[in-house]
Amino acid sequence: MTTAPVFAVVGHPNKGKSSIVATLSQNDAIAIALEPGTTRARQDYPLTVDGQKLYTLVDTPGFQRPRRVLQWLEAHSISASDHPETVRAFVFQHRGDDRFVDECELLAPIMEGAGIIYVVDGSVPYSAEHEAEMTILRWTGRPSLALINSIGEDDHSDTWQSALGQFFQVVRKFDAVRAPFEQHLSLLRAFGQLEPDWEKPLERATRYLSEQRHQRRHQSASLIARALEDLMSYQEKRTLTLNQVAETSDASLAETLRDRWYRHQRKREQTLRIDIEHLYQHQRIRRQEAELQWHSQHDLFSEDTRKHWAVSKRYLATAGFGAGAVGGAGIDAMTLGSSLGTGALVGGLIGAAGSYFYGDRLLLPALNIGPLKDGLKTASFGPVQDSQFGYVVLGRAVDHWWHISHRNHAGRDLLELEPADHHWLEQLDKTSRREIQRAFDRCRKQRPLTHQQRENLTTAIEQAMSAYDDWRLNRA
Amino acid sequence: MSQNPLRLLLDFDDRIQRDRDQPSAFLHRRDRRFALDCEQQGITPDASHWLAHMDRLSGPGGTVTAGSRELRLWCRVNGGFVAAGCLIGILTMLGLLFYDGGQRINITVILAFVLFQLLLALATTVQALVGWQPWRWLLKRLHRDHASPTRARLQPLLMARAAHAGGVAFGLAGLATLLVMVVVQDLAFGWSTTLDTAASGYHSLVITLATPWSWLWPVAVPSLELVEATRFFRAASGTTGIDPSRWGQWWPFVVMLWLTWTVIPRVLLLILSQGLLRHRTAHLLARHPGMQALLYRMETATLDTGSSHNDAADLPDTRTRARPDLLPDTPILICWAGAGEPELPQRLQAPDNRNFRAGGRATLAQDDEVLAQVGNQLTGQKKPAVIVVTRSWEPPTGELHDFLETARERWPSGTRVTLLPLASDPNRAPETHLVQPWLRFTERLAPGFASVALPPTDEPDPYLAGSVQP
Repeated sequence: MTTAPVFAVVGHPNKGKSSIVATLSQNDAIAIALEPGTTRARQDYPLTVDGQKLYTLVDTPGFQRPRRVLQWLEAHSISASDHPETVRAFVFQHRGDDRFVDECELLAPIMEGAGIIYVVDGSVPYSAEHEAEMTILRWTGRPSLALINSIGEDDHSDTWQSALGQFFQVVRKFDAVRAPFEQHLSLLRAFGQLEPDWEKPLERATRYLSEQRHQRRHQSASLIARALEDLMSYQEKRTLTLNQVAETSDASLAETLRDRWYRHQRKREQTLRIDIEHLYQHQRIRRQEAELQWHSQHDLFSEDTRKHWAVSKRYLATAGFGAGAVGGAGIDAMTLGSSLGTGALVGGLIGAAGSYFYGDRLLLPALNIGPLKDGLKTASFGPVQDSQFGYVVLGRAVDHWWHISHRNHAGRDLLELEPADHHWLEQLDKTSRREIQRAFDRCRKQRPLTHQQRENLTTAIEQAMSAYDDWRLNRA
Repeated sequence: MSQNPLRLLLDFDDRIQRDRDQPSAFLHRRDRRFALDCEQQGITPDASHWLAHMDRLSGPGGTVTAGSRELRLWCRVNGGFVAAGCLIGILTMLGLLFYDGGQRINITVILAFVLFQLLLALATTVQALVGWQPWRWLLKRLHRDHASPTRARLQPLLMARAAHAGGVAFGLAGLATLLVMVVVQDLAFGWSTTLDTAASGYHSLVITLATPWSWLWPVAVPSLELVEATRFFRAASGTTGIDPSRWGQWWPFVVMLWLTWTVIPRVLLLILSQGLLRHRTAHLLARHPGMQALLYRMETATLDTGSSHNDAADLPDTRTRARPDLLPDTPILICWAGAGEPELPQRLQAPDNRNFRAGGRATLAQDDEVLAQVGNQLTGQKKPAVIVVTRSWEPPTGELHDFLETARERWPSGTRVTLLPLASDPNRAPETHLVQPWLRFTERLAPGFASVALPPTDEPDPYLAGSVQP
């Protein structure tokens, strides 16, 4: 069995070597900083399939004393044929030497047979200082590829490209933070082109990665479907004893129930977000998320959120919302009225909560305060009686999924979820609209979905994700 | 583990429900590992092996499985129906055979009751097939937890099975009661109806009903004479002079009627409901979304992209107390590694400046020469100072460190070195985050030897404006 290819990611300090490795290994826990010397030792990142290594990326520290190394190499070499041997001797002799710790760390994997991925920053001007490094790498005799990463705004990639072309077999541009997934695969295939034996494992790896991405999309849809089901059917219940009834007014009971209902819904949405982030191996966004001020104008229940994510009445009418949204709203209002009528209708509640809950348009979830029975009184809040709530959740969930699925693991910026300016769900096909609406209707009546209905909802959400993808693409 | 398909399905459903909140990567690893182990052992992985594997891994002494719990519940439900069926069967038969010596036991009533039984049994089956559950409230009371969609799909059939089991018990108990009554009492059967029906018409109805057993037990098929002789009218007083033993000759017919049209249909429907249950169980297991997902996980290789290593917290210390210094008034400039190309900032382009080039493309020997030349220049100066111009975006490396350390040893003591990191536009100030590494670099050199200055530009100094965070 041939050994799996190894690729040493090397270069000058602070040029984004760790960013490249983070993105390709889908690891957002690699230390990345705008500080030279963040990586102090080599670190292997193997890609394994059923425990079998297909390739390994090796993150390395940057060159510190390339000219001195080159001087040593030149002093110990007679002809080009002994170059690799001389580099090996250098590593062997300087192991443990404080001056050449970084050079030994980065050259060792190359001398063990790794391919070279040389990383430069294409956003800064070309510097001849790199020529000593490139010469050393050429001396190793290993297959090599140069990557022009882009850390800053400017673009000097053309000058880099012509300079790098003199030293490396292949030169590619790759923005570690912004490159789309297809480019990751294309880059890995390019790695495979460096040596005939490497083509097959890299081809396999890209196939597996591609399948994994496809599956993650499906799993995301399934997670969103489950969350929608939970959120749309959730009911907050409370049973009070006779003493508690005497102590609690209906108004404060309603207020408590509503707050708890809201809190639960927010928490469920957060759980969905974390699940999707973990699915895409983003383990560290949560910390950044906490720094975001979503709980102001971007909160799940804010007026602003509703404005951005709710769908139009025309959409609802075509989604099979009874005789259009108006009819549905009328029925809901009647149901709400009767449920409130059974208990004590808290004065002013509709007005207060109405403005709190999507202004004057979105209906309240049903509040039901039951009569005193066997010394106990049961009050419930929810499920939400307006499908718009489901569309708001769906819109926000798909938007979040899109950002996460398109986020590279080298990205360390805060996750910004800007609201949409036009509702992309309008582009969704009629069957999917109907499936989503049907599921919402069942949920708000607290009727559980069958397996088939759940599958249909998942498929419809996958369609919605595609619609969102297209909408983003056309918008860009 | 029992191979009961119903238990298998319910256990599987329960396991899938419990896996609901597990991370998908974990589930994939677990199930793929199981599939690979099976492959090694030459076993085809399926749901029962999978469940057995899970139970084995968890060790003995586990809690009762959901399938066993559910089966026990249905055993209790079935038992209840059978007990109730027996009791009602006995009471019903006693009611049907109630004979106080005055009236005959009306065969027509028995026929009507048997027909009603038959319709009830058929309705139960149809209702199970359609999925209508009028008795759901009963199950809700028995089930404290929420029924999963799988259980909800099974309930109508399970309930039909229980109902048919009760029906069979009812029929058998009724039959036994009938036989006991035949033995211990003299039963007088007759037939009666308000309708203007001739005995021949009634006889042909009886013959039709007796078709299934006419070849088996001819005595159990009433003759026309018997039918004619045993008609009675409630208004008629006393008997019409026929042999009293003839009243009792109906009993074989009643026994076979009950057996054939009450007991056997129930048994057949019980078998049918059992078959349907088995079929639906197999179907639900095969079509279970959890099964599709499990098969996918078992068939698809697990992919680990190398995301386990975590050193995110291991960031270098980026604090610094150093602040940019003022640019010294010295004509000696060393351009390090190509800095100042193509041109230096205008304010550094004085005609009497002495510019040297080191680092980058220069050889180490050339660096040594620059050190020597600069050393000579500095000798005898009161305040020896040198400006080292660098590119702000190329962070300080070990080579510059070596160069400055050598300079400190060779140059006159008290020489001050000022590092001047330039932006790509030499007349603009470099970005703050690019200056920070240079400040920290000077802290790693001998104290008081080196400092950092910002290029002379017209822009305000961000450090003086207080915008820099240490």
